[in-house]
Amino acid sequence: MTGTPCSAPIAFADVVDYWAGELTGADHDRIEEHVFSCDACARELADGEKLVRGIGAVARDGRLRSVVTDAILNRLAADGVRIRMFTLDGSGVVPCAVWAGDDLVVSRIRADFADADSVTIVTRLASGEEISRLADIPVRPGQREILNAFSAARLRTLPATRVSVSVSARVGSDERMLAEYTLEHGGSFDRPSGGR
Amino acid sequence: MALESLSGSVPRDLTAIGTAVSVPLVQWSADSRSASVSDGDLARAIASAPPGAAQGEESELYRRFAPRVRLYGLKHLRDESDAQDLAQQVLLVVIERLRAGEVRTPDQIGSFILSTSRLLAGAGERRTRRRAHLTAQFHVADVYVTPSLDSSDLATIERCLHLLAERDRRVLLLTFYAEKSSPEIAAELGVTGTVVRVTRHRALARMRACVGLQEVRTA
Repeated sequence: MTGTPCSAPIAFADVVDYWAGELTGADHDRIEEHVFSCDACARELADGEKLVRGIGAVARDGRLRSVVTDAILNRLAADGVRIRMFTLDGSGVVPCAVWAGDDLVVSRIRADFADADSVTIVTRLASGEEISRLADIPVRPGQREILNAFSAARLRTLPATRVSVSVSARVGSDERMLAEYTLEHGGSFDRPSGGR
Repeated sequence: MALESLSGSVPRDLTAIGTAVSVPLVQWSADSRSASVSDGDLARAIASAPPGAAQGEESELYRRFAPRVRLYGLKHLRDESDAQDLAQQVLLVVIERLRAGEVRTPDQIGSFILSTSRLLAGAGERRTRRRAHLTAQFHVADVYVTPSLDSSDLATIERCLHLLAERDRRVLLLTFYAEKSSPEIAAELGVTGTVVRVTRHRALARMRACVGLQEVRTA
C-alpha cells in the first residue's frame, strides 16, 4: 500500500465498530467501498485487524494477567487453553501450585461486593513483593466473585512461598478492606502427582 | 518489497492465458514505480497490454489490493486461510478480466475488486471450482505476504493490553476474543450498550497509540 493521504478518512471508531461487527449494513458497505479506493484507510483497517488479532493471540497464548469472565474462560477452554482454577472463599490457607501443561491459573475470589463502586485486588509474596495489582475493577450489583487470571508461565518463575491476596473496595470516597486470603504456593510441578 | 523484485518474481506462466507476445506495450520502468501511479493507471496499463505483458503492473495491483481482499475475507469468512485463498482468487479473476478487456471503467478498479470479492466470498462451491480452473492457468507469485504477528509484536500488544484500565481490557477481550455483542457485554458489566461502545473505541485507540500505529493522514 502506498502512503497517499486521504481526503476523507474513515473514523477510527468506525474501524473499531467494523471489526466488532457493530455497524449497520449501509455503514458497513460504505467502509468497504472506501477502503477499496483508499490506501491510507486500507492501512487503518489493517491496523485495526492487527490489534484485534493480537488481543486474541495474547489470550490464546495464556498471557493474560487480568480479571476475566466466564465467557472469556469458556472461549479459552474452547481454544484448548489449559486452565487451573483455585477458589478463595472464607478463611484458611489454600494450597496451590502450577503444573507442567498449565497455560493459565485462575483464582475465583469470592467476597461481598455489595455497595462497592470498584474493587482493588493486590497479590503479594511472603517477601512483601507485589506481583499483581488490579485496580478499579468494576463490579455490578449482586456480583459475588471476581475471576483473576495469571499466566502460568509467570507463576512458574516464582519460588514455593506463601502468597497473600487482599481485596478492597471503594465505596463512595472510602476504601474498605473486604477480604484477605492466603495461598500456599507449592511451586512448579512436572506432573499432577507432584513430582518436581 | 522492492518493485523490481516483484516484477522479477512473477512466474512465466502468468502469460499462459491468452496470446503472449514478446514486446509489452507498457514499460514498467524505474520512472513509473512511484506510489503516485493511480490504481486506474495500473488497471489501464494491464488492459492495454497484450495478455501477460504487463507483469510489473499486475504484481503492483496484486500488492495493493490483496491485503484489502484478505481483510474483507477475514471479516466475512472469519478464517485466515479462506481469506488468503479469497485474496488470491479475486486478484486472479480481476487480472483475467483486465487482460480480456472486460473491465469497462478502470478508474473504478477498486469497486470492481470489491464487487468480485463479494461475489466470490459468497460463491461457495462455485468458488472452489473456479479456483481449480484458474490455478490450472495462473500462478501468482508470493508478491504479498500475510502480515504476521511476530513475538515482538505480540509482546508489545500484550504489554499495551495490560496497561489499559480493567474495564477497558475486559471490553476488548469480551468483544474481540469472546466475540460478545455490545448488549451481551453491557449485561455482563452492568452498564449500557453505549458505554460499552465508547469504552471499546477509547480502549482500542489507546492500544493503537501504545503500539505505535499511526493515524490516517488527511490530504
